[in-house]
Amino acid sequence: MLKRALAIITLLIIGYWLAQGLAGVPFGEDKMLVGQYYLDNVKQQTGAVNAVTAVVVNYRGFDTLGEVTVLFIASTGVGALLWRRKKERTAKTEGSIVLTTGTRLLFPFVMLFGAYIFIHGHLTPGGGFPGGATIATAFLLLYLAFITYEIPHRGFEVTEGLAGMSYVAVGLIGLAIGGYFLFDWIWQTWQFGWDNVGRLLSGGFIPIIYTIIGIKVGTELSGIIDNMLKEEVSE
Amino acid sequence: MGEASKISRYLYTVIVLFLIWLFLTASLDPQELGFGLLLSLIVGAFTYEIFTTNGLANLHPKRIAYAIAYIPYFLWAMIMANLDVAYRVLHPKRPINPGIVECRTVLKSDVGKLSLANSITLTPGTITLDVDGDKYFIHWIDVKDDSVEGASKSITEPFEKFLKVIFG
Repeated sequence: MLKRALAIITLLIIGYWLAQGLAGVPFGEDKMLVGQYYLDNVKQQTGAVNAVTAVVVNYRGFDTLGEVTVLFIASTGVGALLWRRKKERTAKTEGSIVLTTGTRLLFPFVMLFGAYIFIHGHLTPGGGFPGGATIATAFLLLYLAFITYEIPHRGFEVTEGLAGMSYVAVGLIGLAIGGYFLFDWIWQTWQFGWDNVGRLLSGGFIPIIYTIIGIKVGTELSGIIDNMLKEEVSE
Repeated sequence: MGEASKISRYLYTVIVLFLIWLFLTASLDPQELGFGLLLSLIVGAFTYEIFTTNGLANLHPKRIAYAIAYIPYFLWAMIMANLDVAYRVLHPKRPINPGIVECRTVLKSDVGKLSLANSITLTPGTITLDVDGDKYFIHWIDVKDDSVEGASKSITEPFEKFLKVIFG
């Protein structure tokens, strides 16, 4: 009781403190410093219509590379924590025909929609991370509907690694051509897509990087699901 | 019904995915079409094995015609059933007589059984609880006939005449 009361009082104090801090920031007023630069120059400099993806992939590409690394470490960490010599799915109840057939029918659509999200990252909201998470959802569906389903591990792990390496490789090509890491060589040097901003084949290397990230995140999260759904089996 | 050949199943998956892509992008820009086709080919290669067993046979004109005719038929059944449930909710005496009945179906394919179960559930008043072989266990808000034949006649048969042609 005392503990709970203390916790509530502490939270109230913290909340009041934060509210006081935010009260000095007016809502709905123009206070963009860097933001205005992004909005003014995003089309000419990156070819992306979606300013968020341009910031995330082009202007601040290192952040995204870091996020991809964090996800990779999370996946490796889960794998390391749950590593056992012999692991199997232990779920015993098979889903009903409605569940399994529904999953069969939905699986390709979820995959296609994930691909749609990451390929249109420079045009519409979304990008590599939501697209990859959508694709992982498709595999989660299979895991939940079929008690024996397993992802093809070897293929998935290799794909994940290759996708991560391709991201760095794209950055290194930029380093060789333009002089710094993650330089957008497709847009700046090749000038590819300059004449059709807003259509699919534009946006410099954003679609390429987002395809890579989508594949990487999709395989990675599926791997995490796989690790967490399996239990140790005594021999 | 036996399994169709791999090529036929693959092509069917690609066609369906490409149609979905057309609806998603709602654009006939050749760049979108090209990438849609490419992605449909790739996604289809990964998913056709679990997506379909009949392959291109699903695109028989008679089946498509029945599928298109089924949409307004089903929507009408859904509206009427919703009004019926609204009547039961608003009626001061609440004339309900709930119970679980067993129905039989003549459908053979899994997809047919899935769409029948979903059609039953989406028409309020009836909810599919479980499907086991050709037996359906259905929760009915107003049980008029608790025999297997009688319940099938008023629940499954109206949909079956369409679904039997569409999915077999």
